[in-house]
Amino acid sequence: MTGPQGQGRPGDDPEERDPGLARERTSLAWTRTAISFAALGGVVLKANVISGLIVLAVAPVVWQLGRVSRGRATRNDLPAVGATRLFIIALTIVAVSLLCFLVAIFGRSAPLSLR
Amino acid sequence: MSWSRRLATLLPRAVERDNGGTEPDPRFTFANERTFLAWSRTALALVVAGLGIVQLLPPFPGVPAGRHLLGLPLIALGAVLAVAAYVEWVRSQRALRRGDPLPNSVLPWILAATITGIAIIAGIVLLLSALR
Repeated sequence: MTGPQGQGRPGDDPEERDPGLARERTSLAWTRTAISFAALGGVVLKANVISGLIVLAVAPVVWQLGRVSRGRATRNDLPAVGATRLFIIALTIVAVSLLCFLVAIFGRSAPLSLR
Repeated sequence: MSWSRRLATLLPRAVERDNGGTEPDPRFTFANERTFLAWSRTALALVVAGLGIVQLLPPFPGVPAGRHLLGLPLIALGAVLAVAAYVEWVRSQRALRRGDPLPNSVLPWILAATITGIAIIAGIVLLLSALR
């Protein structure tokens, strides 16, 4: 394995020299995740307006979380892993699932016996 | 290691303070993070599918609980998948630091079991609805 700066033979693979592309792909993945939250918010909105607005409000927060600088990821003395924000994402999905579970049961088209 | 101890190693603070091994190539750290995010989106997709089935589909004739039977497990498994994705990310990051082989992932198994289970329930619901 070559080091972070790719001391091996530069030039074969652009990423050997520059983790920038990996960083950019990761940043795009954060954007897609934020868009997924917005899409879910749109579906929830159809069933329950307030819950839908709550989920929609999560989308820009996720987007901003993805933009938080992780500092110099190559330095040893800084936490290179953004464990906290990934933990937050996992917890947010659990909370949103719970909300959706309730919306599914009690939402617009809901109570089992009324249909 | 006791159960609660093991759980505590999953907390973000414990992960960030982990200084066993060496800092992995940042590209690997990024790739691990992207994998987590991809699983998170998959979890969200399960939730969207579940909610869509319950709230947006017309009810199955003759099977009043059909939509709930299909949709509620999907939503619950979305939550399970999100937690599993985080645990998987922690384990992978730890293995990357130590240069260990990456641990086997249970996530594809969870997803495959979910889709199979939901497909079977869907088949039964449709059959009941058709035979009504």
